[in-house]
Amino acid sequence: MKWITRERPKIDRIACPWLIKNFVDTEAEFIYVPKEEVFTKANELEAIPYDIPGAEYTHEGEYCTFDYIVKKHQIIDPAIHHIATIVRGADTDSFQLAPQAAGLWAISAGLSYNYNNDHEMLSIGMKMYDALYSWSKYVQEEKHIWQPKL
Amino acid sequence: MKWITREHPKIDRIACPWLIKNFVDNEAEFIYVPADKVKDQAKALEAIPFDIPDVEYSHHQDKCTFDYIIEKHELKDPALQTLAVIVRGADTDRHDIASQASGLWAISAGLAYNTKDDYELLQKGMMIYDALYSWAKHLQKEKHTQNPVDHLFIDVFNKFIKQKALQKKTPDWVKELKQIIQDQVDTNLSLTDISKSLDINPSYLSREFSKHFNNLSFGEYIRKLRIEKAIELINTNTYSLTEIAYLTGFSDHSHFTRIFKQHTGKSPSAYKKDRAKGKADTKS
Repeated sequence: MKWITRERPKIDRIACPWLIKNFVDTEAEFIYVPKEEVFTKANELEAIPYDIPGAEYTHEGEYCTFDYIVKKHQIIDPAIHHIATIVRGADTDSFQLAPQAAGLWAISAGLSYNYNNDHEMLSIGMKMYDALYSWSKYVQEEKHIWQPKL
Repeated sequence: MKWITREHPKIDRIACPWLIKNFVDNEAEFIYVPADKVKDQAKALEAIPFDIPDVEYSHHQDKCTFDYIIEKHELKDPALQTLAVIVRGADTDRHDIASQASGLWAISAGLAYNTKDDYELLQKGMMIYDALYSWAKHLQKEKHTQNPVDHLFIDVFNKFIKQKALQKKTPDWVKELKQIIQDQVDTNLSLTDISKSLDINPSYLSREFSKHFNNLSFGEYIRKLRIEKAIELINTNTYSLTEIAYLTGFSDHSHFTRIFKQHTGKSPSAYKKDRAKGKADTKS
């Protein structure tokens, strides 16, 4: 399927494509357009609009679109639930939700500042969420202490 | 110059190359070798060893190698000071010293897990530090006010207020919706059908509906219209009440009677009688 949202993504519009591609629709293709054009283009291209008010896939109360996808597609992987909290914290300016939220926000805001091309931003962002996922799933307990073995 | 350190970098051995390349030595080349080979290889390749014990470019007390480079090369950019605390927090497991340290650690640990090639990891890491630097330099005070719902709602609300003040105009979709409902009041119109024709999600439409329709829900509004139409039809004296119930989209007569009474305080037949009587009275 095609998935369409507003241009200039930072958190949710990068995290959601990552989630969709890996857990919902492996054939997914992502389109970014100016916000006024999302619904028109969605019709034209038969794409699913997301992260925009008026769409099914959007924020719900204090929950962001990432949360909605997790709920709707019944994703039960605990690492995803963990990432959902971090993404929500970073996306809704509620850094107290997860210790990692402030760092994710700083890096994402900086990436968006450095990359004006939304698809370039998406491709780097995908790697970042791959990393967060691996961290949450495999190395969360690991501490980093400076003990170079010689 | 060549710069050499231990393989499998995570934080400092990625952050330092980024710092060196951008602020110390833009010709720098970086080499990762097993920990026990660093010193020998440094000699053989005439490379500067860093982030291993007993060399100049290393940890000093609680400061990490990144800090040492800033101090040694007298780098004054305030954004680098911000970055240094984050790197130190992530590198020395002291996430309390900077709120961004935990996130940097999680992303760096995950990148290292996913990327076995040190040079590929360095390349990805460079983008992360470029991003952190841009954030520290230009966006540090910026809040993520990108909450799309809040923002768009504020937009819509402002437009709404303006429209109201200027021309008392209702949004196009509300007009369109009024038209649709008016045209099809006798059919079994559902919110889902309407949301399809308007291309708005049904639950969103339902939430927004009452804002523009005097606080009535979709169901309430439809019933109100049907009763208004029923009254109009009764006034024409052309149809029986059963026909009117049918023409106004009620599934059966008793349902029609019940809703009619709720809205007008009278049953349809009582209304019809009173009306006829009223007419007679006026005539006389």
